[in-house]
Amino acid sequence: MILSNLLGSEVRDAEGRKVGHIADVRFVLDGPPGQLLAAARLHGLIVSPHSAASFLGYERYNVTQPWPLAQLLRWRHRGSFLVLWEDVARMDSGIVDLRQNYTEYDPMVPL
Amino acid sequence: MKRLLGVALGILTAIGGFVDIGDLVANAVVGSRFGLSLVWVVAVGVLGICLFANMSGRVAAVSNRATFEVIRERLGARAGLANLGASFFINLMTVIAEIGGICLALQLASSVSYLLWVPVATAAVWLVIWRVRFSIMENVAGLLGLSLIVFAVALFLLQPDWGSLAGQALAPHVPESETPATYWFYAVALFGAAMTPYEVFFFSSGAVEEGWTAKDLVLSRINVFVGFPLGGFLSVAIAGTAAVVLLPAGIEVSSLSEVVLPVVAGGGKIALAFALVGIVAATFGAALETTLSSGYTLAQFFGWSWGKFRRPAQAARFHLAMIICLLAGPSLLATGVDPILLTEYSVVFSAIALPLTYLPILIVANDQQYMGKHVNPRAVNILATIYLVIILAASLSAIPLMIMTGAGS
Repeated sequence: MILSNLLGSEVRDAEGRKVGHIADVRFVLDGPPGQLLAAARLHGLIVSPHSAASFLGYERYNVTQPWPLAQLLRWRHRGSFLVLWEDVARMDSGIVDLRQNYTEYDPMVPL
Repeated sequence: MKRLLGVALGILTAIGGFVDIGDLVANAVVGSRFGLSLVWVVAVGVLGICLFANMSGRVAAVSNRATFEVIRERLGARAGLANLGASFFINLMTVIAEIGGICLALQLASSVSYLLWVPVATAAVWLVIWRVRFSIMENVAGLLGLSLIVFAVALFLLQPDWGSLAGQALAPHVPESETPATYWFYAVALFGAAMTPYEVFFFSSGAVEEGWTAKDLVLSRINVFVGFPLGGFLSVAIAGTAAVVLLPAGIEVSSLSEVVLPVVAGGGKIALAFALVGIVAATFGAALETTLSSGYTLAQFFGWSWGKFRRPAQAARFHLAMIICLLAGPSLLATGVDPILLTEYSVVFSAIALPLTYLPILIVANDQQYMGKHVNPRAVNILATIYLVIILAASLSAIPLMIMTGAGS
């Protein structure tokens, strides 16, 4: 599976209700050490209820300029959340099902 | 002393390299139809290109990433590809127009049909790209392009009524013979000619080619903010000569001979010789820049190794892409398509593609992870955001205006 198959997929909760689309995925670098960096591990998916487009980098707390653009992109992604990989029940073509009682985390990246 | 020389050289090449076939044609056409009443657009366009060229240069110097690498990263594969398609198409169109411009100028100088000059000019462009060092290429074309100052000299020699010219420029209004729609169509075309996206692709890739670091930022800022406005002044001089000679006589610009006609009227044969040298140098320089930009955009999007600082064998796909462009483009010229008309279309299409290029630059120039302490200051962001609105307006209105006015006819 490649990333572009996943991006834009519809996300549903355990009852089959649509909760949004996949806007982004998040990796952490904590795998076995490689040549330059540690191997990346898929941490979770960013689910956005209103838009499947990416944050263009505005998912980080410290990127707030230019103001109108930052506001516009944050507004387009209002209600977005991060679900951990453990909370994903099933992935099908274009559809991702979440487990019951999945946790919604803040999608912003702290710095 | 050496440093001062470097600054002077940079400024001079920026002036000489500013004008290309799009500026030449758009300004002459506008001058002959609207006088100086659209000069404010040149001013707005020049400030815009200063702002964004400087920004893209700063991003490239600090992060070592050229503009299209930034676009690819920030817009993602799909939107990036759409952008690549549009930019590449316009770029190729501009390559063809610039080579057409070289050939038309050589035709004026030699009375040999421009079609016969096409293979010669194309081969020369390719040879320079293949063999000549980046800095030499840029400096020679830029310095020879300075001959275009003859347009300003001719304007003085024509002894125009400065008061009425200033009146046209400072209190712009739509001439009675034209409709507001054509006025705004040409405003968009002039804006597109001043802000053509290839300039930032080339400028930012050039910064990587020349190995700029944060230390070079001051020099680049001086080059941009002094050189580009003076280049814009040349654009205005071209429009001015057309406004003084062609507008009263009711002569329409449909070929390069009308563009240089006022120069002949003002300064005679010697002035014409300077103008032709200037036009050949300016279009040749721009042909190099646009051809390289085609290679840069493709290579940066697909992640190929690129750059003239590498030997061709180490950047094979980059060079192959440019060879294909240089084979494909000029063969279109051989069909007899009018290079001047092509130029007019290319500047309008440039205006359409502008937002896709400038938005990602603005976003990345604000990213601390990339830029560290060199992120945009607030004033730059405010100005750039205003420009983004103007760019969006020009982009969205270009096609409707084109249809309404029958491409300005």
